[in-house]
Amino acid sequence: FKVPDEISLLVIVVDVNPIWWGQQAQREQEFTLSKCLDAVMVMGNSHMAMSRTNKLAVIASHCQDSHFLYPSKSWKAGDDGADDASSSGDGKYELLSVANNLIAEEIRNVMSKTEVRGNSTDTLLAGTLAKALCLGQEIKSRILVIKAAEDCALQYMNFMNVIFAAQKQNILIDACVLDSNSGLLQQACDITGGLYLKIPQQVALAQYLLWVFLPDSEQRSQLVLPPPAHVDYRAACFCHRNLIEIGYVCSVCLSIFCNFSPICTTCETAFKIQLPQMVKPKKKKLKQTT
Amino acid sequence: MASLSEEVLLVVKKVRQRKQDGTLYLMAERVAWGPEGKDRFTVSHLYADIRCQKISPDGKAKIQLQLVLHTGESTTFHFANESSALKDRDATKELLQQLLPKFKKKANKELEEKNRMLQEDPVLFQLYKDLVVSQVISAEEFWANRLGGINNTDPAVVNNKQEVGISGAFLADIRPQTDGCNGLRYNLTADIIESIFRTYPAVKQKYSENVPHNLTEKEFWTRFFQSHYFHRDRINTGTQDIFSECAKQDEKGLKSLVIQGVKNPLVDLLSLEDKTLDEGYGICTTLPSTSNANKTVKESSNSAIIKRFNHHSAMVLAAGSRKGEAPTDQASETSSTDGNSRDSDFFQPPVKKVKLQEAIEYEDLQRENRPKTVALNLKKSDRYAHGPVPLQSQHYTTSQDIINSVNYIRHEMMNYKPNLTEVRFYTAFLMITKSHNYQKETINRSEILHCIAVFLSCVVLVER
Repeated sequence: FKVPDEISLLVIVVDVNPIWWGQQAQREQEFTLSKCLDAVMVMGNSHMAMSRTNKLAVIASHCQDSHFLYPSKSWKAGDDGADDASSSGDGKYELLSVANNLIAEEIRNVMSKTEVRGNSTDTLLAGTLAKALCLGQEIKSRILVIKAAEDCALQYMNFMNVIFAAQKQNILIDACVLDSNSGLLQQACDITGGLYLKIPQQVALAQYLLWVFLPDSEQRSQLVLPPPAHVDYRAACFCHRNLIEIGYVCSVCLSIFCNFSPICTTCETAFKIQLPQMVKPKKKKLKQTT
Repeated sequence: MASLSEEVLLVVKKVRQRKQDGTLYLMAERVAWGPEGKDRFTVSHLYADIRCQKISPDGKAKIQLQLVLHTGESTTFHFANESSALKDRDATKELLQQLLPKFKKKANKELEEKNRMLQEDPVLFQLYKDLVVSQVISAEEFWANRLGGINNTDPAVVNNKQEVGISGAFLADIRPQTDGCNGLRYNLTADIIESIFRTYPAVKQKYSENVPHNLTEKEFWTRFFQSHYFHRDRINTGTQDIFSECAKQDEKGLKSLVIQGVKNPLVDLLSLEDKTLDEGYGICTTLPSTSNANKTVKESSNSAIIKRFNHHSAMVLAAGSRKGEAPTDQASETSSTDGNSRDSDFFQPPVKKVKLQEAIEYEDLQRENRPKTVALNLKKSDRYAHGPVPLQSQHYTTSQDIINSVNYIRHEMMNYKPNLTEVRFYTAFLMITKSHNYQKETINRSEILHCIAVFLSCVVLVER
């Protein structure tokens, strides 16, 4: 079973996109960023409670940057922690209460410094993941991503690089998606061997986190967990950005097109081949795995 | 008859093929047979295609000739002329016997050439194995790209081996044998004669002029060996010798060589001499006179030997440089290096420049002549960075929306305090985990599963 002294690190990446959360707060009062962070703290506490040697890190992924909520640079061991612990009142493990307070403080800082900038409204998820990867270099670690806003297409390259780096380092990436399905995270989970879950009910976030994402990879084999999602690996054509299954690939620059054209628009190579008439593929209905 | 673009070597009438009367034609490159009265040939085979010919045994009544092709097919001709069938057949057979080997050799030669190419170049051999043996492309396609004009190049170029020259000492090997009565006997083989002709082109000229009109071969060679030309001294004593002219010719050739001068500035020794301008400006030396009158006997014999060696060396150099040079170069450089040919007319400066350039430039330091590649020219390379996120309904937020949202969230989080007891079953979690002193020991797996089961049951209870 588990080696007692093996350090296991859990990095929780929380998407704190202020625009999405602000809109969410106006949409649904029941589940706001505060509630989400409460659930994250529960998850963090549980992880640390599982074993003395478990470690935790929480990173907030913002539009402007990514910020470490825990462990934070402003944490001075000793003084502040002791005061807060005694004030928690419910007798829980010191470390847990210290952690919670730190996280709360940090997120308050982060959100108060939020500026309004129209052009960058997307979460910098790839950068955050890269930071998370740097943490888990020599110890057994995994990353849990709690995603709120949509995918950003501009981060695709960096995202894929991060995913492959994680795969090389044997770091699992789990994804817990609150709102819209993310193709990139599906690929990440598929490639690294993690779990992808889109939560049916946002208010029950903590339950899902504890049920699905708390056990680590060895224990998951003993449990019955949601089946893996069907990942859409189709490429998008360069001309329309449609996802296609069969297409034309330029042999010089490897750009993908959905229709044949005699000149490749990326590298301007002329093609002189007589092509047979292509039969339009029948539109297949993708099997939805429930 | 049909117009023949090839030369017809033999025509045999009354030859039957497949029970039809007709005429057999043997031409320069093929054998053909046409039925009687018709204009065209129904049967035509290239000699190269014919593997062998067979004839019916002599005793048989039917006199036949069969041609077997490389493909395995065979064609039989029945010579039906009552009077001359056998003669016809034999004549045909003999002609074929002469012609077939020529073409066979050609086919073989190609095969040999291919084999040689494959053996010499292991990369080519590997390529051949990968492509043809595994039937990716056919053998013809493979060779079509490789051979190119193999049939048109002359054998001297194809055969890259060097030709062996004549040993300088060959004349010494012609040892005369004493004849008994004060005579000498020279044994001349064709090889020796050829060597003599190659070493002394003047002699060859004389030979072609005089034999067989004026002298017989034997006489010619006798005179040759008797002549002073042959002997070391080679002093022109003025005897009426056909060979005395040869000596004069050689000298003329040498003189013209000297006049040409040396083209390569790096080996031109004369340019290294001191140059004098005038009295008082440099050393004035008197050049040794070259007129024959002042020479002693010893000097003249020395100079004769030196001349002979120079001439020989010049011929050797000429033979070497003449061999592999392209026709365009010959006009400029080698036209008169053997000293015996016509006068030279060539350009000095380019050669000198070439030689100088060779000396100062190093191949390694030059820019490498790699095969020209086409540069990859990508426009719109940002397309690659765009992920498979379809450009569909992104919801567009107005800037007002953005401001509102940001303000709202900022307000919300300003006073954020974690309220974990509100989180469902967190209290249950606390209850369970409190019972363990988890500062000292780790919780094992079964307990975790127990916890989770409790959580879920709580959930169920609370939700419903």
